[in-house]
Amino acid sequence: MPSSDASATPGLFSRLSTMADNLVKVTTTKAAIGQTPRQAIWTLNKATLFRYTPVVKAEERHPIPLLLVFALMNKSAILDLRPGNSFVEFLLQKGYDVYLLDWGTPGPEDAQTGLGDYALEYIPRAIRKLRSFSGSDQFNLLGWCIGAMLCTLYSSLRPNDGLKSLILLTAPLDFTEHDKISLAKMTEERFFDVDRVLQAFGNMPAGLIDYGAKMLKPVENFVGGYTRLFDNLDNTKVVDSWHAMNTWVSDAIPLAGAAYRQFIVDLYRNNKLVKGTLTIRGERVDLKQLRASLLNVIGEDDHITPPCQSDKLLDLVGSTDKEVLRLPGGHIGLMAGSGAYKVAWPRIDAWLSKRSA
Amino acid sequence: MSTESSKGLLEKVRGVRDSAMEDLAKVTLAWTSSDTFQTINAVISKPALLTAAMVRKATESAMADVLARFNLPSREDVLALSQRLTRIEMTLDDLGAGMDQLRRASAPARQQRPATREHENNGGPRPGTSPAAKEG
Repeated sequence: MPSSDASATPGLFSRLSTMADNLVKVTTTKAAIGQTPRQAIWTLNKATLFRYTPVVKAEERHPIPLLLVFALMNKSAILDLRPGNSFVEFLLQKGYDVYLLDWGTPGPEDAQTGLGDYALEYIPRAIRKLRSFSGSDQFNLLGWCIGAMLCTLYSSLRPNDGLKSLILLTAPLDFTEHDKISLAKMTEERFFDVDRVLQAFGNMPAGLIDYGAKMLKPVENFVGGYTRLFDNLDNTKVVDSWHAMNTWVSDAIPLAGAAYRQFIVDLYRNNKLVKGTLTIRGERVDLKQLRASLLNVIGEDDHITPPCQSDKLLDLVGSTDKEVLRLPGGHIGLMAGSGAYKVAWPRIDAWLSKRSA
Repeated sequence: MSTESSKGLLEKVRGVRDSAMEDLAKVTLAWTSSDTFQTINAVISKPALLTAAMVRKATESAMADVLARFNLPSREDVLALSQRLTRIEMTLDDLGAGMDQLRRASAPARQQRPATREHENNGGPRPGTSPAAKEG
Protein backbone atom coordinates (compact mmCIF):
# COMPACT_ATOMS: atom_id res chain seq x y z
CA MET A 1 0.00 0.00 0.00
CA PRO A 2 2.61 2.58 0.94
CA SER A 3 4.53 1.87 -2.26
CA SER A 4 1.42 2.49 -4.42
CA ASP A 5 0.80 5.80 -2.62
CA ALA A 6 4.39 6.78 -3.23
CA SER A 7 4.08 6.08 -6.96
CA ALA A 8 0.71 7.81 -7.15
CA THR A 9 2.06 11.04 -5.69
CA PRO A 10 4.59 11.86 -8.43
CA GLY A 11 2.00 10.79 -11.02
CA LEU A 12 -0.51 13.16 -9.53
CA PHE A 13 2.03 15.98 -9.38
CA SER A 14 3.04 15.40 -12.96
CA ARG A 15 -0.62 15.43 -14.05
CA LEU A 16 -1.34 18.59 -12.10
CA SER A 17 1.75 20.20 -13.56
CA THR A 18 0.65 19.28 -17.12
CA MET A 19 -2.81 20.68 -16.40
CA ALA A 20 -1.34 23.91 -15.06
CA ASP A 21 0.99 24.23 -18.05
CA ASN A 22 -1.86 23.63 -20.48
CA LEU A 23 -4.11 26.08 -18.69
CA VAL A 24 -1.45 28.77 -18.81
CA LYS A 25 -0.86 28.01 -22.50
CA VAL A 26 -4.47 28.35 -23.58
CA THR A 27 -5.13 31.43 -21.48
CA THR A 28 -1.99 33.40 -22.23
CA THR A 29 -0.87 32.45 -25.74
CA LYS A 30 -2.18 32.04 -29.25
CA ALA A 31 -1.57 28.78 -31.04
CA ALA A 32 0.60 28.82 -34.14
CA ILE A 33 -1.82 28.26 -37.01
CA GLY A 34 -1.39 28.56 -40.78
CA GLN A 35 2.19 27.28 -40.72
CA THR A 36 2.58 25.71 -44.16
CA PRO A 37 5.26 27.57 -46.15
CA ARG A 38 3.81 29.86 -48.79
CA GLN A 39 4.73 32.76 -50.98
CA ALA A 40 2.69 35.90 -51.69
CA ILE A 41 2.51 36.35 -55.47
CA TRP A 42 -0.08 39.09 -55.80
CA THR A 43 -1.78 41.70 -53.64
CA LEU A 44 -4.63 44.12 -54.13
CA ASN A 45 -5.76 46.37 -51.30
CA LYS A 46 -5.99 43.93 -48.33
CA ALA A 47 -6.26 40.80 -50.47
CA THR A 48 -3.26 38.55 -51.08
CA LEU A 49 -2.83 35.59 -53.37
CA PHE A 50 -0.56 32.98 -51.83
CA ARG A 51 1.02 30.02 -53.48
CA TYR A 52 1.90 27.14 -51.13
CA THR A 53 5.32 25.62 -51.61
CA PRO A 54 4.80 22.28 -53.37
CA VAL A 55 6.08 19.16 -51.67
CA VAL A 56 5.71 16.87 -54.67
CA LYS A 57 8.02 16.99 -57.71
CA ALA A 58 6.69 19.04 -60.63
CA GLU A 59 6.44 15.96 -62.87
CA GLU A 60 4.24 14.16 -60.37
CA ARG A 61 2.02 17.14 -59.65
CA HIS A 62 -1.50 17.68 -61.01
CA PRO A 63 -1.11 20.17 -63.88
CA ILE A 64 -4.25 22.19 -63.11
CA PRO A 65 -3.77 24.57 -60.17
CA LEU A 66 -6.31 24.83 -57.36
CA LEU A 67 -7.41 28.13 -55.86
CA LEU A 68 -8.91 28.17 -52.35
CA VAL A 69 -11.30 30.97 -51.40
CA PHE A 70 -12.42 31.24 -47.80
CA ALA A 71 -15.22 33.27 -46.19
CA LEU A 72 -14.99 36.98 -45.59
CA MET A 73 -15.60 37.09 -41.83
CA ASN A 74 -12.95 34.68 -40.54
CA LYS A 75 -9.32 34.18 -41.38
CA SER A 76 -8.34 31.58 -43.93
CA ALA A 77 -5.95 29.84 -41.52
CA ILE A 78 -8.68 27.25 -40.85
CA LEU A 79 -7.67 25.70 -44.17
CA ASP A 80 -4.19 25.22 -42.76
CA LEU A 81 -4.92 24.84 -39.06
CA ARG A 82 -1.84 23.04 -37.78
CA PRO A 83 0.68 20.48 -39.00
CA GLY A 84 -1.01 17.09 -39.11
CA ASN A 85 -4.47 18.65 -39.30
CA SER A 86 -4.20 20.91 -42.32
CA PHE A 87 -6.27 20.63 -45.48
CA VAL A 88 -3.61 22.60 -47.39
CA GLU A 89 -0.89 20.21 -46.22
CA PHE A 90 -3.07 17.28 -47.33
CA LEU A 91 -3.61 18.79 -50.78
CA LEU A 92 0.10 19.47 -51.23
CA GLN A 93 0.93 15.88 -50.30
CA LYS A 94 -1.61 14.71 -52.86
CA GLY A 95 0.24 16.64 -55.54
CA TYR A 96 -1.95 19.71 -56.04
CA ASP A 97 -0.55 23.10 -56.91
CA VAL A 98 -2.36 25.07 -54.19
CA TYR A 99 -3.12 28.80 -54.17
CA LEU A 100 -5.08 30.71 -51.57
CA LEU A 101 -6.89 34.00 -51.95
CA ASP A 102 -6.74 35.62 -48.52
CA TRP A 103 -9.11 38.57 -48.16
CA GLY A 104 -7.25 40.30 -45.34
CA THR A 105 -8.99 42.48 -42.76
CA PRO A 106 -11.26 45.22 -44.11
CA GLY A 107 -10.85 48.68 -42.62
CA PRO A 108 -13.25 51.65 -42.51
CA GLU A 109 -12.13 52.55 -46.04
CA ASP A 110 -13.57 49.24 -47.30
CA ALA A 111 -17.11 49.83 -46.03
CA GLN A 112 -18.32 50.36 -49.61
CA THR A 113 -16.80 47.12 -50.89
CA GLY A 114 -19.64 44.95 -52.11
CA LEU A 115 -20.12 41.39 -53.33
CA GLY A 116 -19.57 42.67 -56.87
CA ASP A 117 -16.12 43.94 -55.95
CA TYR A 118 -15.13 40.60 -54.49
CA ALA A 119 -16.67 38.50 -57.28
CA LEU A 120 -15.79 40.68 -60.27
CA GLU A 121 -12.65 42.59 -59.26
CA TYR A 122 -10.67 40.60 -56.73
CA ILE A 123 -11.37 37.00 -57.78
CA PRO A 124 -10.88 37.52 -61.56
CA ARG A 125 -7.65 39.45 -60.99
CA ALA A 126 -6.30 36.84 -58.59
CA ILE A 127 -7.17 34.17 -61.15
CA ARG A 128 -5.46 36.14 -63.90
CA LYS A 129 -2.32 36.21 -61.78
CA LEU A 130 -2.66 32.54 -60.90
CA ARG A 131 -2.92 31.61 -64.56
CA SER A 132 0.02 33.76 -65.48
CA PHE A 133 2.14 32.44 -62.60
CA SER A 134 1.28 28.78 -63.05
CA GLY A 135 1.31 28.84 -66.83
CA SER A 136 -1.96 26.94 -66.89
CA ASP A 137 -5.00 28.35 -68.68
CA GLN A 138 -7.33 26.15 -66.67
CA PHE A 139 -7.82 26.16 -62.93
CA ASN A 140 -9.98 24.60 -60.24
CA LEU A 141 -11.72 26.58 -57.56
CA LEU A 142 -12.71 25.63 -54.03
CA GLY A 143 -14.87 27.99 -51.96
CA TRP A 144 -15.98 27.60 -48.38
CA CYS A 145 -19.05 29.30 -46.81
CA ILE A 146 -19.30 32.88 -48.12
CA GLY A 147 -16.22 32.07 -50.18
CA ALA A 148 -18.33 29.40 -51.89
CA MET A 149 -21.06 31.94 -52.51
CA LEU A 150 -18.54 34.35 -54.06
CA CYS A 151 -17.12 31.54 -56.21
CA THR A 152 -20.66 30.73 -57.37
CA LEU A 153 -21.25 34.35 -58.34
CA TYR A 154 -17.92 34.51 -60.16
CA SER A 155 -18.41 31.18 -61.95
CA SER A 156 -21.89 32.20 -63.11
CA LEU A 157 -20.82 35.64 -64.27
CA ARG A 158 -17.47 34.68 -65.84
CA PRO A 159 -18.00 31.12 -67.08
CA ASN A 160 -15.36 31.35 -69.81
CA ASP A 161 -12.35 32.26 -67.66
CA GLY A 162 -10.90 28.73 -67.74
CA LEU A 163 -12.61 27.27 -64.69
CA LYS A 164 -12.51 23.50 -64.99
CA SER A 165 -14.15 22.45 -61.76
CA LEU A 166 -15.72 24.07 -58.76
CA ILE A 167 -15.99 22.69 -55.24
CA LEU A 168 -18.45 24.38 -52.91
CA LEU A 169 -18.23 23.66 -49.20
CA THR A 170 -21.23 24.53 -46.97
CA ALA A 171 -22.40 27.19 -49.42
CA PRO A 172 -25.18 29.57 -48.29
CA LEU A 173 -27.03 29.98 -51.59
CA ASP A 174 -30.66 29.00 -51.22
CA PHE A 175 -32.86 30.73 -48.64
CA THR A 176 -36.18 29.22 -49.74
CA GLU A 177 -36.66 27.19 -46.56
CA HIS A 178 -36.38 30.26 -44.39
CA ASP A 179 -37.75 28.56 -41.25
CA LYS A 180 -34.98 25.98 -41.22
CA ILE A 181 -32.23 28.63 -41.30
CA SER A 182 -31.64 30.06 -37.81
CA LEU A 183 -29.53 32.95 -39.07
CA ALA A 184 -32.31 33.92 -41.48
CA LYS A 185 -34.70 34.35 -38.59
CA MET A 186 -32.16 36.35 -36.60
CA THR A 187 -31.68 38.74 -39.53
CA GLU A 188 -35.35 39.22 -40.41
CA GLU A 189 -36.25 42.84 -41.03
CA ARG A 190 -38.57 43.03 -38.01
CA PHE A 191 -35.72 42.00 -35.66
CA PHE A 192 -32.59 43.32 -37.28
CA ASP A 193 -31.98 46.74 -38.80
CA VAL A 194 -28.94 46.17 -40.99
CA ASP A 195 -28.71 49.83 -42.05
CA ARG A 196 -28.67 51.02 -38.46
CA VAL A 197 -25.84 48.63 -37.64
CA LEU A 198 -23.82 49.81 -40.61
CA GLN A 199 -24.60 53.44 -39.81
CA ALA A 200 -23.15 52.87 -36.35
CA PHE A 201 -20.09 50.86 -37.35
CA GLY A 202 -19.45 51.19 -41.09
CA ASN A 203 -18.49 47.54 -41.43
CA MET A 204 -20.20 44.65 -39.67
CA PRO A 205 -18.08 44.25 -36.52
CA ALA A 206 -16.40 40.90 -35.93
CA GLY A 207 -17.82 40.77 -32.40
CA LEU A 208 -21.41 40.99 -33.64
CA ILE A 209 -20.87 38.30 -36.27
CA ASP A 210 -19.30 36.09 -33.63
CA TYR A 211 -22.17 36.76 -31.21
CA GLY A 212 -24.75 35.91 -33.87
CA ALA A 213 -23.01 32.66 -34.79
CA LYS A 214 -22.54 31.63 -31.17
CA MET A 215 -26.16 32.37 -30.27
CA LEU A 216 -27.22 29.66 -32.71
CA LYS A 217 -25.98 27.16 -30.12
CA PRO A 218 -25.35 29.26 -27.01
CA VAL A 219 -24.67 26.60 -24.39
CA GLU A 220 -22.38 24.57 -26.65
CA ASN A 221 -20.45 27.66 -27.72
CA PHE A 222 -20.24 29.61 -24.47
CA VAL A 223 -19.93 26.68 -22.03
CA GLY A 224 -19.54 23.35 -23.84
CA GLY A 225 -16.20 24.16 -25.44
CA TYR A 226 -14.66 25.09 -22.11
CA THR A 227 -15.98 22.02 -20.26
CA ARG A 228 -14.44 19.87 -22.99
CA LEU A 229 -11.17 21.69 -22.45
CA PHE A 230 -11.23 21.26 -18.67
CA ASP A 231 -12.15 17.57 -18.99
CA ASN A 232 -9.03 17.04 -21.10
CA LEU A 233 -6.69 19.52 -19.49
CA ASP A 234 -4.16 16.78 -18.72
CA ASN A 235 -4.14 15.60 -22.35
CA THR A 236 -1.75 17.89 -24.20
CA LYS A 237 -2.74 16.55 -27.63
CA VAL A 238 -6.40 17.40 -27.09
CA VAL A 239 -5.51 20.74 -25.53
CA ASP A 240 -3.29 21.68 -28.49
CA SER A 241 -6.07 20.85 -30.90
CA TRP A 242 -8.58 22.88 -28.86
CA HIS A 243 -6.10 25.73 -28.58
CA ALA A 244 -5.57 25.89 -32.35
CA MET A 245 -9.29 25.92 -33.06
CA ASN A 246 -9.95 28.47 -30.31
CA THR A 247 -7.19 30.73 -31.64
CA TRP A 248 -8.84 30.69 -35.05
CA VAL A 249 -12.39 31.15 -33.72
CA SER A 250 -11.39 34.12 -31.57
CA ASP A 251 -9.63 35.84 -34.44
CA ALA A 252 -12.73 36.90 -36.37
CA ILE A 253 -12.60 39.91 -38.68
CA PRO A 254 -15.24 42.49 -39.65
CA LEU A 255 -17.19 42.13 -42.85
CA ALA A 256 -17.22 44.98 -45.36
CA GLY A 257 -20.46 46.94 -44.85
CA ALA A 258 -21.79 46.95 -48.41
CA ALA A 259 -21.10 43.23 -48.88
CA TYR A 260 -22.81 42.44 -45.60
CA ARG A 261 -25.85 44.50 -46.54
CA GLN A 262 -26.18 42.71 -49.90
CA PHE A 263 -25.76 39.36 -48.20
CA ILE A 264 -28.57 40.07 -45.73
CA VAL A 265 -30.98 41.99 -47.96
CA ASP A 266 -30.51 40.31 -51.35
CA LEU A 267 -29.81 36.78 -50.21
CA TYR A 268 -31.09 36.09 -46.68
CA ARG A 269 -34.24 38.16 -47.03
CA ASN A 270 -35.06 38.08 -50.73
CA ASN A 271 -33.36 34.89 -51.93
CA LYS A 272 -32.44 36.66 -55.16
CA LEU A 273 -29.72 34.26 -56.30
CA VAL A 274 -31.99 31.24 -56.50
CA LYS A 275 -34.90 33.29 -57.83
CA GLY A 276 -32.62 34.50 -60.62
CA THR A 277 -33.12 38.17 -59.81
CA LEU A 278 -29.72 38.94 -58.28
CA THR A 279 -27.92 41.67 -60.18
CA ILE A 280 -24.24 42.37 -59.63
CA ARG A 281 -22.93 45.56 -61.25
CA GLY A 282 -25.79 45.49 -63.73
CA GLU A 283 -25.25 41.85 -64.68
CA ARG A 284 -27.92 39.33 -63.74
CA VAL A 285 -26.48 36.27 -62.04
CA ASP A 286 -27.78 33.27 -63.97
CA LEU A 287 -26.81 30.01 -62.28
CA LYS A 288 -27.41 28.18 -65.57
CA GLN A 289 -24.24 29.88 -66.81
CA LEU A 290 -22.25 27.91 -64.25
CA ARG A 291 -21.05 25.10 -66.50
CA ALA A 292 -17.88 23.87 -64.81
CA SER A 293 -17.77 20.47 -63.14
CA LEU A 294 -19.35 20.92 -59.73
CA LEU A 295 -18.98 19.21 -56.39
CA ASN A 296 -21.31 20.49 -53.70
CA VAL A 297 -20.22 19.40 -50.22
CA ILE A 298 -22.86 19.58 -47.50
CA GLY A 299 -22.37 19.07 -43.75
CA GLU A 300 -25.29 17.02 -42.42
CA ASP A 301 -25.04 18.68 -38.99
CA ASP A 302 -24.28 22.18 -40.20
CA HIS A 303 -26.40 24.59 -38.13
CA ILE A 304 -24.92 27.75 -39.69
CA THR A 305 -25.53 26.77 -43.31
CA PRO A 306 -28.03 23.93 -43.04
CA PRO A 307 -28.20 21.38 -45.90
CA CYS A 308 -31.36 23.02 -47.32
CA GLN A 309 -29.22 26.03 -48.33
CA SER A 310 -27.55 24.20 -51.18
CA ASP A 311 -29.00 20.73 -51.62
CA LYS A 312 -31.08 21.76 -54.63
CA LEU A 313 -28.21 23.60 -56.30
CA LEU A 314 -27.54 20.88 -58.86
CA ASP A 315 -30.97 21.45 -60.42
CA LEU A 316 -30.22 25.12 -60.86
CA VAL A 317 -26.79 25.13 -62.49
CA GLY A 318 -25.84 24.49 -66.11
CA SER A 319 -23.09 21.97 -65.32
CA THR A 320 -23.47 18.47 -66.74
CA ASP A 321 -20.80 16.95 -64.51
CA LYS A 322 -22.16 17.60 -61.02
CA GLU A 323 -22.39 15.81 -57.71
CA VAL A 324 -23.55 16.35 -54.14
CA LEU A 325 -21.47 15.01 -51.29
CA ARG A 326 -23.31 14.83 -47.96
CA LEU A 327 -20.93 14.20 -45.09
CA PRO A 328 -21.29 13.97 -41.33
CA GLY A 329 -20.09 17.11 -39.59
CA GLY A 330 -20.85 20.72 -38.86
CA HIS A 331 -19.97 23.95 -40.60
CA ILE A 332 -16.32 23.91 -39.55
CA GLY A 333 -15.88 20.39 -38.18
CA LEU A 334 -16.65 18.99 -41.62
CA MET A 335 -13.32 20.25 -42.95
CA ALA A 336 -11.26 21.04 -39.86
CA GLY A 337 -12.47 18.50 -37.31
CA SER A 338 -10.26 15.68 -36.11
CA GLY A 339 -11.99 13.21 -38.46
CA ALA A 340 -11.86 15.37 -41.59
CA TYR A 341 -8.66 13.75 -42.86
CA LYS A 342 -10.39 10.36 -42.86
CA VAL A 343 -13.71 11.39 -44.41
CA ALA A 344 -14.05 14.74 -46.17
CA TRP A 345 -10.54 15.29 -47.51
CA PRO A 346 -10.09 11.90 -49.25
CA ARG A 347 -13.56 12.19 -50.83
CA ILE A 348 -12.76 15.65 -52.15
CA ASP A 349 -9.38 14.45 -53.40
CA ALA A 350 -10.98 11.46 -55.15
CA TRP A 351 -13.34 13.79 -57.03
CA LEU A 352 -10.83 16.53 -57.73
CA SER A 353 -7.90 14.39 -58.85
CA LYS A 354 -9.95 13.14 -61.83
CA ARG A 355 -10.56 16.74 -62.84
CA SER A 356 -7.06 18.06 -62.30
CA ALA A 357 -5.37 16.37 -65.23
CA MET B 1 -8.83 1.90 -4.10
CA SER B 2 -9.50 5.49 -3.12
CA THR B 3 -8.20 6.69 -6.50
CA GLU B 4 -10.60 4.38 -8.30
CA SER B 5 -13.57 5.46 -6.23
CA SER B 6 -12.74 9.12 -6.74
CA LYS B 7 -12.48 8.50 -10.50
CA GLY B 8 -15.86 6.82 -10.46
CA LEU B 9 -17.30 9.72 -8.53
CA LEU B 10 -15.79 12.17 -11.02
CA GLU B 11 -17.34 10.26 -13.92
CA LYS B 12 -20.72 10.37 -12.19
CA VAL B 13 -20.41 14.11 -11.61
CA ARG B 14 -19.47 14.60 -15.26
CA GLY B 15 -22.41 12.50 -16.38
CA VAL B 16 -24.82 14.58 -14.32
CA ARG B 17 -23.21 17.78 -15.56
CA ASP B 18 -23.38 16.72 -19.21
CA SER B 19 -26.98 15.69 -18.95
CA ALA B 20 -27.84 18.99 -17.21
CA MET B 21 -26.00 20.87 -19.94
CA GLU B 22 -27.88 19.02 -22.65
CA ASP B 23 -31.17 19.97 -21.04
CA LEU B 24 -29.99 23.53 -20.61
CA ALA B 25 -28.89 23.65 -24.26
CA LYS B 26 -32.35 22.58 -25.44
CA VAL B 27 -34.11 25.12 -23.23
CA THR B 28 -31.69 27.90 -24.19
CA LEU B 29 -31.95 27.13 -27.88
CA ALA B 30 -35.74 27.16 -27.71
CA TRP B 31 -35.53 30.54 -25.98
CA THR B 32 -32.97 32.13 -28.29
CA SER B 33 -34.88 30.92 -31.35
CA SER B 34 -38.13 32.42 -30.13
CA ASP B 35 -39.72 35.58 -31.47
CA THR B 36 -39.73 36.97 -27.92
CA PHE B 37 -35.95 36.70 -27.61
CA GLN B 38 -35.39 38.26 -31.01
CA THR B 39 -37.80 41.07 -30.15
CA ILE B 40 -36.03 41.75 -26.84
CA ASN B 41 -32.69 41.72 -28.66
CA ALA B 42 -34.04 44.20 -31.20
CA VAL B 43 -35.49 46.46 -28.49
CA ILE B 44 -32.22 46.49 -26.54
CA SER B 45 -29.99 46.96 -29.57
CA LYS B 46 -32.04 49.79 -31.12
CA PRO B 47 -31.11 52.53 -28.60
CA ALA B 48 -27.56 51.15 -28.36
CA LEU B 49 -27.10 51.39 -32.12
CA LEU B 50 -28.72 54.81 -32.28
CA THR B 51 -26.40 56.08 -29.54
CA ALA B 52 -23.37 54.51 -31.23
CA ALA B 53 -24.29 56.15 -34.55
CA MET B 54 -24.84 59.54 -32.87
CA VAL B 55 -21.60 59.34 -30.90
CA ARG B 56 -19.75 58.33 -34.05
CA LYS B 57 -21.22 61.21 -36.01
CA ALA B 58 -20.51 63.72 -33.24
CA THR B 59 -16.94 62.49 -32.75
CA GLU B 60 -16.25 62.55 -36.46
CA SER B 61 -17.66 66.04 -36.81
CA ALA B 62 -15.66 67.38 -33.83
CA MET B 63 -12.54 65.65 -35.11
CA ALA B 64 -13.07 67.07 -38.59
CA ASP B 65 -13.32 70.60 -37.11
CA VAL B 66 -10.11 70.18 -35.15
CA LEU B 67 -8.27 68.72 -38.14
CA ALA B 68 -9.56 71.49 -40.41
CA ARG B 69 -8.27 74.10 -37.96
CA PHE B 70 -4.81 72.59 -38.22
CA ASN B 71 -5.20 72.28 -41.98
CA LEU B 72 -4.98 68.51 -41.75
CA PRO B 73 -6.96 66.05 -43.89
CA SER B 74 -10.17 64.74 -42.39
CA ARG B 75 -11.18 61.12 -41.92
CA GLU B 76 -13.30 61.38 -45.10
CA ASP B 77 -10.27 62.69 -47.01
CA VAL B 78 -8.13 59.79 -45.85
CA LEU B 79 -10.86 57.25 -46.64
CA ALA B 80 -11.36 58.74 -50.10
CA LEU B 81 -7.62 58.71 -50.66
CA SER B 82 -7.43 55.07 -49.66
CA GLN B 83 -10.24 54.16 -52.05
CA ARG B 84 -8.50 56.08 -54.78
CA LEU B 85 -5.26 54.22 -54.11
CA THR B 86 -7.12 50.93 -54.43
CA ARG B 87 -8.44 52.02 -57.82
CA ILE B 88 -4.92 53.03 -58.87
CA GLU B 89 -3.69 49.65 -57.64
CA MET B 90 -6.30 47.99 -59.87
CA THR B 91 -5.16 50.01 -62.88
CA LEU B 92 -1.54 49.08 -62.17
CA ASP B 93 -2.62 45.46 -61.82
CA ASP B 94 -4.24 45.62 -65.25
CA LEU B 95 -1.11 47.25 -66.70
CA GLY B 96 1.11 44.59 -65.10
CA ALA B 97 -1.10 41.83 -66.51
CA GLY B 98 -1.00 43.47 -69.95
CA MET B 99 2.79 43.65 -69.80
CA ASP B 100 2.98 40.02 -68.77
CA GLN B 101 0.88 39.13 -71.79
CA LEU B 102 3.03 41.23 -74.11
CA ARG B 103 6.18 39.67 -72.71
CA ARG B 104 4.81 36.21 -73.35
CA ALA B 105 3.65 37.13 -76.84
CA SER B 106 7.04 38.63 -77.72
CA ALA B 107 8.87 35.47 -76.63
CA PRO B 108 6.87 32.71 -78.31
CA ALA B 109 9.78 30.32 -78.25
CA ARG B 110 9.77 30.26 -74.48
CA GLN B 111 7.68 27.30 -73.39
CA GLN B 112 5.29 28.18 -70.59
CA ARG B 113 5.03 25.05 -68.49
CA PRO B 114 8.60 23.83 -68.63
CA ALA B 115 9.73 27.31 -67.63
CA THR B 116 7.32 27.32 -64.72
CA ARG B 117 8.41 23.92 -63.52
CA GLU B 118 12.05 24.85 -63.76
CA HIS B 119 11.61 27.88 -61.56
CA GLU B 120 9.44 25.88 -59.16
CA ASN B 121 12.18 23.33 -58.72
CA ASN B 122 14.62 26.12 -58.03
CA GLY B 123 12.23 27.58 -55.49
CA GLY B 124 12.11 31.00 -57.12
CA PRO B 125 9.49 32.96 -59.01
CA ARG B 126 8.91 32.39 -62.71
CA PRO B 127 10.70 34.90 -64.94
CA GLY B 128 8.38 37.79 -65.65
CA THR B 129 6.54 37.66 -62.33
CA SER B 130 7.30 39.75 -59.32
CA PRO B 131 6.19 38.23 -56.04
CA ALA B 132 5.27 40.89 -53.55
CA ALA B 133 6.65 39.20 -50.48
CA LYS B 134 7.63 35.89 -49.01
CA GLU B 135 6.10 34.08 -46.08
CA GLY B 136 6.75 30.93 -44.15
